[in-house]
Amino acid sequence: MTAVRMPRRVPMSRAARRETRHGFLFILPWIIGFIAFTALPMAATFVFTFLNISLAEAEPLRFVGLDNYRRLLGDDQAWAALGVTARFALMWLPVVVALPFLLALAVNSRGVRGGGLLRVLLFMPYVVPFVAGALIWQNMLAADGWINSALRLLGVAHPPSWLNDPAWVTPGLVLIGLWGLGAGLIVNLAGLRAIPAQLYDAALIDGAGWWRRLRHVTIPMMSPVLFYTIILAVVEVMQYFLVPLVLFDGNGDPGGATRFFNLYLYQTFFTFQEMSYGSTLAWLLFVITLAVTLLLFRLSRRWVHYTSER
Amino acid sequence: MNGTLPRLLAALTALVLLTACTTGAGGDAAPVQLRWYCCLGTGEQADQVKAQQAVVDEFNARHRDIKVKLDVVPYNSARDTLATQIASGKGPDIVGPVGVGGAAAFHGQWLDLGPFIKARGFDLRPYSEGAADLYRIGSVQEGLPFAIYPSTLYYKADLFEEAGLAEPPHKYGEKYRWPDGREAEWNYETLRELALRLTVDKNGKDATQQGFDAGNIVQYGFEPARDDLRYQGSAFGPASLDAGDGKTVKIPEPWADAWRFFYDGMWKDRFIMTGPVFETDRFNGDGAAFFSGHVAMSVNFLWSTYGVAGAGPDWDVAAMPSHDGRTTSPTSADTFRILAGSKHPDKAFEFLSHLVGPASNKLLEAYGAMPARTADQDAFFTKLAAQFTNTVDWQVAKDSVRFADTPHSEAHTPKYNQTLAVLGTYRSRWMTKGGLDMDAELTRLRAEIQKIWDR
Repeated sequence: MTAVRMPRRVPMSRAARRETRHGFLFILPWIIGFIAFTALPMAATFVFTFLNISLAEAEPLRFVGLDNYRRLLGDDQAWAALGVTARFALMWLPVVVALPFLLALAVNSRGVRGGGLLRVLLFMPYVVPFVAGALIWQNMLAADGWINSALRLLGVAHPPSWLNDPAWVTPGLVLIGLWGLGAGLIVNLAGLRAIPAQLYDAALIDGAGWWRRLRHVTIPMMSPVLFYTIILAVVEVMQYFLVPLVLFDGNGDPGGATRFFNLYLYQTFFTFQEMSYGSTLAWLLFVITLAVTLLLFRLSRRWVHYTSER
Repeated sequence: MNGTLPRLLAALTALVLLTACTTGAGGDAAPVQLRWYCCLGTGEQADQVKAQQAVVDEFNARHRDIKVKLDVVPYNSARDTLATQIASGKGPDIVGPVGVGGAAAFHGQWLDLGPFIKARGFDLRPYSEGAADLYRIGSVQEGLPFAIYPSTLYYKADLFEEAGLAEPPHKYGEKYRWPDGREAEWNYETLRELALRLTVDKNGKDATQQGFDAGNIVQYGFEPARDDLRYQGSAFGPASLDAGDGKTVKIPEPWADAWRFFYDGMWKDRFIMTGPVFETDRFNGDGAAFFSGHVAMSVNFLWSTYGVAGAGPDWDVAAMPSHDGRTTSPTSADTFRILAGSKHPDKAFEFLSHLVGPASNKLLEAYGAMPARTADQDAFFTKLAAQFTNTVDWQVAKDSVRFADTPHSEAHTPKYNQTLAVLGTYRSRWMTKGGLDMDAELTRLRAEIQKIWDR
């Protein structure tokens, strides 16, 4: 019988222990904040999902088991809201990932003059408060707004009713979202600048053209940045809320086409005042976001390349 | 010294007891604290708050036994705040001004004023006929008449003249006279015929003529109150989605007729503008299409006088059309209510009587509302008339009160807010999507609401 030799735990030095203590001390305010304002409320909402808390109907507090989850399964409005969110995600995600990358490529390329000015111009809208931006876009996309006026000048006799037609409102929201691409552009630019020039030199020596350099150098080297952008965009889409709330008073107009899941969740909490069912919806949102994020992390092993990996 | 201390202690004890007793006696006489919660409807504007505070100060000065505190919460957060206060057992005593819909969101929370009206001998005779019914939910009298806003048909007399058509009747029961001398019942079918003739394209053709260009309409014949499907329905006949048992949803026949009329008017007959057209600069006059001056007729509450001057100097009001022989004027009604949880209902009723009584004129003026008390209505209309250069037949508005909708269109239904949300979604879809099968839509609407009620 062979004795298994356990690795010996190296005792921490006094200085290391002190440093650890100080480290914990420094992050203590965040830990307290996280426990008080995130972990505990999350735990509380989970407990709520098994109760019958409603401000609209005065009922004695009681344990309802899985009733709220059963109700969720049969709630057409919740699934319709999830459908609205998915539809928007299908249109929005490619745009929010690809466009900043392409813009960054353009701004970063040697052939483009005034790259600095372009960067400023493209980033500037991001500085404008989003609610103000949404209201500006509301006017731009109005029936007689600038965009439709421009379309009429181009010969489109009956331009879309961007914000009042269920078929056009999602593309309209995607257009509004372009307002906030500045941050993605900066992240992509930083990623592009960090790619070692030697890789391009080597590719050039090997006779690689623009497309092959993009395909075999830029995209693999940018994959961690693109992955980061995708993760953030997915979380953002699942939490999409502010624009439809501002533009349509949270009614889901036109015809329910903007009743996003997060908006339905908000309505359930604060308009219908159903705290327990609202908590159930919130947990569904959390689980879906977590599942999608985990799936993306799993898939990332196939296409995301980290330079530190061996 | 030995006897001094016990005596001193005894004296102190006696003093404490005496003080306690005195305080106790004084406690009985201490003023009762009441809290007046505003603003689930109007009331949050600076001059309105000032007027309300003046009423409170005046009342407090005259009543040593009651002290009222005005609690102003902005409209946007008033509903949620009140719900939270009630849920936490810290609700106010009096709430208002609040309309029927605002009150319905707190169904079951209001005090029944019936016993107080009886005990205090509160006189309901000075109010418009049926005004008190607007605040009666089942057998519970939730409010006293205060402010009412009947619906009338607003119309542009110049557009009728231009089309060579007689103006709609001002007196209820009168018939409409066509240019060929034919007389017709003043109902929605007649209104439809009129509206078609008053809907004009950019070439000057009306909707009854060959070659009418529906894609380029410059003037619409009719505009219903598009904000609320229940209002539209009630204009055809008062009813409720509740079949009567508080569990079963029914789409009342007059409401179904009204919604088909609305939908066909937009997408088939084209005398009502669609949602996208409603949003254009030409027709969206400060939130109401009639204010743009490009709509010939519109049904709306009396409160829309706030922006009607935008329609030009030739507007007037006419009687509401009938449907299936019945005339209805959906009437909005604001008042003050006492929460059932008030610890001092008797005193709260005393203050409530003051609000709808001696203080009412001051408050009604601040709110710009039509008094429910008939004796005060002439003075109100004299003031209102002074705001316009044209002569308006205000008698129509006074007469319309008799046709108020009972049950009220905004009355409580089970799952009130959820039901409203579903109705809002359908309203929006009908305004923005043509080619729908309305029978299928109504079936789906009923099923969707029923599912919510069944939870």
